[in-house]
Amino acid sequence: MKPRFFSLLISAALASSPALAANSDTTVPGADKISTKTLANGLKVVVWSDHDIPNVALYNWYKVGSRNEYAGITGISHYFEHMMFNGTSTRKPGEFDRVMEANGGANNAYTSSDVTVYQDWFPRSALELIFDLEGDRMANLDFDPKVVESERGVVYSERRSSVDNSNFGSLVEQIDATAFTAHPYQIPTIGWPSDIEGWKIEDLKRFYKTYYAPNNAVMFVIGDVEPNEVFALAEKYIGKTPAQPTPTPITTKEPEQQGERRVNLVREGEAPLLAFAHHSVSASDADAPATELLLAILANGNSSRLHQQLVEQQQIVVDVDQSLQQGFDPGLAYLYATLPPGGDLAVVEKALDAELVKIANEGITEAELNKARTQKLASFWRGMATISGKASALGTYEVFKGDYKKLFQAPANYEKVTAADIKRVAAKLFRRDNRTVGTFVPAAKKGN
Amino acid sequence: MRLSLHVLFFATALVSSNPALSAGKTMPEFERAVLPNGAEVFLMEKHDVPLIAINALVRGGSLSDPEGQEGTASLLSDMMQKGAGKRDAKTFAETVDGAGGRLTTASGFSALELSAEFLSRDADLMIELAADALQRPRLDAAEFEKARTFAIQSLAAGKDGDPRGLISEYGYAFLYKNHPYGRPSIGDETSLKNITLASLGDYYRSRVGGDRLIISVVGDFKTSEMKAKIEKAFGNWGKATSELPVITAKQKETGRRVLLVDKPGATQTYFWLGNVGVNRTDPELPAQELVDTLFGGRFTSMLNTELRIKSGLSYGARSSLDRLAQAGPANISSFTRTDATVQAIDLAIATLDRLHKEPITAEMQESAKNYVLGQFPPTLETGPQMADKLGELALYRLGRDDVDEYAARIRAASSEQIAKAVNAYPQSADLVIVLIGDASKIRDSIKKYGPVTEMKMSDPRFSP
Repeated sequence: MKPRFFSLLISAALASSPALAANSDTTVPGADKISTKTLANGLKVVVWSDHDIPNVALYNWYKVGSRNEYAGITGISHYFEHMMFNGTSTRKPGEFDRVMEANGGANNAYTSSDVTVYQDWFPRSALELIFDLEGDRMANLDFDPKVVESERGVVYSERRSSVDNSNFGSLVEQIDATAFTAHPYQIPTIGWPSDIEGWKIEDLKRFYKTYYAPNNAVMFVIGDVEPNEVFALAEKYIGKTPAQPTPTPITTKEPEQQGERRVNLVREGEAPLLAFAHHSVSASDADAPATELLLAILANGNSSRLHQQLVEQQQIVVDVDQSLQQGFDPGLAYLYATLPPGGDLAVVEKALDAELVKIANEGITEAELNKARTQKLASFWRGMATISGKASALGTYEVFKGDYKKLFQAPANYEKVTAADIKRVAAKLFRRDNRTVGTFVPAAKKGN
Repeated sequence: MRLSLHVLFFATALVSSNPALSAGKTMPEFERAVLPNGAEVFLMEKHDVPLIAINALVRGGSLSDPEGQEGTASLLSDMMQKGAGKRDAKTFAETVDGAGGRLTTASGFSALELSAEFLSRDADLMIELAADALQRPRLDAAEFEKARTFAIQSLAAGKDGDPRGLISEYGYAFLYKNHPYGRPSIGDETSLKNITLASLGDYYRSRVGGDRLIISVVGDFKTSEMKAKIEKAFGNWGKATSELPVITAKQKETGRRVLLVDKPGATQTYFWLGNVGVNRTDPELPAQELVDTLFGGRFTSMLNTELRIKSGLSYGARSSLDRLAQAGPANISSFTRTDATVQAIDLAIATLDRLHKEPITAEMQESAKNYVLGQFPPTLETGPQMADKLGELALYRLGRDDVDEYAARIRAASSEQIAKAVNAYPQSADLVIVLIGDASKIRDSIKKYGPVTEMKMSDPRFSP
């Protein structure tokens, strides 16, 4: 069982007071138990003992995503996310999952523009086995031509579900490809269809050697473990895998956008969609916390500005939401609205634009700022409630913000953001010239 | 203010002397109380993070929806946040968001449900909001019109999204035709139009009350203090006046029938194959869960191995035993590119046949047991998970042994029990089949599965 940190809870309860918030990097239970070790081959291992349940979450972050791709091999990072389960020189295709599940473990993985993250959840009795499996696929991945073809079909099926058969997925893909003219954030992580069909085994082998190297990964092991046993297992199963030359850095910078861009998607459907995407900042930018709070004030929860204005008062949309792409490089800040069938896109666009002009000109209230900060504080604690949440949060701060310790300063950093900061960021982002507008228009119905 | 007559303390159970079970997960200590109005209260302290979770269930739910007004309980649950007590809809939302809280309301078949999680410093606020939402919803006319319109538009908009989210609505409606489980909890575009503020108010006054309440609070509080707060907030709530609906089980169907839901332009076909399965209180649940794990409940399951790993026909294929108070559907679901529709469905059916024909080896049994045991503890890791579990146990009148002895029961499931549990799934000759796809491309080839009924995805209902 975890110790009961009553004194810490009191500090957290007062965290909205700036004087105390400055100390909030020391108030998370167990943060002092985190240990790290970097192996000689460059693999960094971060361990957080948490004995609440007899389980372990192991998240292995590889610093590679669709940002590292180019025409002809788009989607290859995501495809790798699949291939990493499909056999090594020592284990046949399917063996990885079969052995893991037979020993009580489960796994998943995800790919973004910036990273590919492999997640294992297992009982502590399977700890050594998991290291064996992870070390094996980092060093010995095999590329059976039959499996390569079969997995192509699986990825195609995923594309059809998440993009081709989803108006929202298709619209976002088109917006990304329009908003970025130079930077590889223009590439859809799932890959363009002809590339999914086209990449070759040589492409895969080169990609694997370059990016699936210990010096390009950070591993997080959270749960019913002790640091020393984890470090010893990492050394035993991964320590001998050689480092590779540092991958070529992505140096392309997106030129400043000069004028609004528009993309229109027309096909079968019921509900029109509108999305605004403004060029924003990278995850490590000093303005990242202010940008997060700005978007939360606009569209987090039923009391947010856009929900109240567009859904409740004007009643012109059924849903409004936001998301902020936070990666190594400056990404997009998205605002989305789902209209009712037959809804008027021009009316909604005008109303959304008016709200953005308003927040950029007039700023926000202290009450809104406090609300957004408190939402961040609560969401921070929700992340700390599970071993998976901890693995995910530590990884995000270590990989994107340079140090996992910054996680524990996050609530304090939100406290430091002022209303003036948010107004300044709103004025910087929400310029028409910095915007891509995406619309989905349902095609006229064919007669029956 | 007096507390209940029946206050029981539960110690953390010692399940068995088997040392292997020490790696399982049992319920931590909690307290149960019954308030004078009949409300059941569960309190569990959990101090790892400064949060408090609440789960409130009101027995009844969508099964009490008036005929032709399906979605009434669901719409009522929406209205509980649209102004309650001293707060109008906007102030209510601002209060939840301002505290960084989460508060959701919904209706399932057998209960209305309110779930919330707040920072523990806002415990009083959370209880006040939950008590207002349940006991003092304003049911304002203008908010009602908005909520109803919104619900109808959301259903229409949802049909543009990934059909995986909706196919089971069609599955339930088609399999449980003329049975209460065939009536959509969320309503449909026609039934929602039939609901009036007056009929919603009637439902609320007669079917929602303190005697039907099960309230579970888990988190960073002191039990004695929380007990007093809950008693004060919910102890004086009056009783519901109408009877709870009595639902009898639907019998398994024999033979096959097919529903084709036309989504013009779709590049994939989504399919759902089901029949009446098992209920939540089935004593053979452990063996059935092991069978479900092997058949379609994990990545290396038989279905996913055939449809994804070996053939690449689909991103995923799974099975599920939906457990309700009475038997819910045992079903298979997957999707594939349009031109592979028949190939994929044939393969799913052949895999179902294999489940019934081939023995489940000792190695498979051991693998499934390890998997179920290994994945169980993270399902009870957080306050909201624990609060939901306490509510679920009370709703189905199950004891804490359902959790505490789960690991032992999984381990103890015998080969004979597992072999028999295969029958939770239907034989392939007896299947209700639902497909969503481009009818012009698949209409002819799917006739071989049975008599086909056709409807359009854009139709305002989930059944033909």
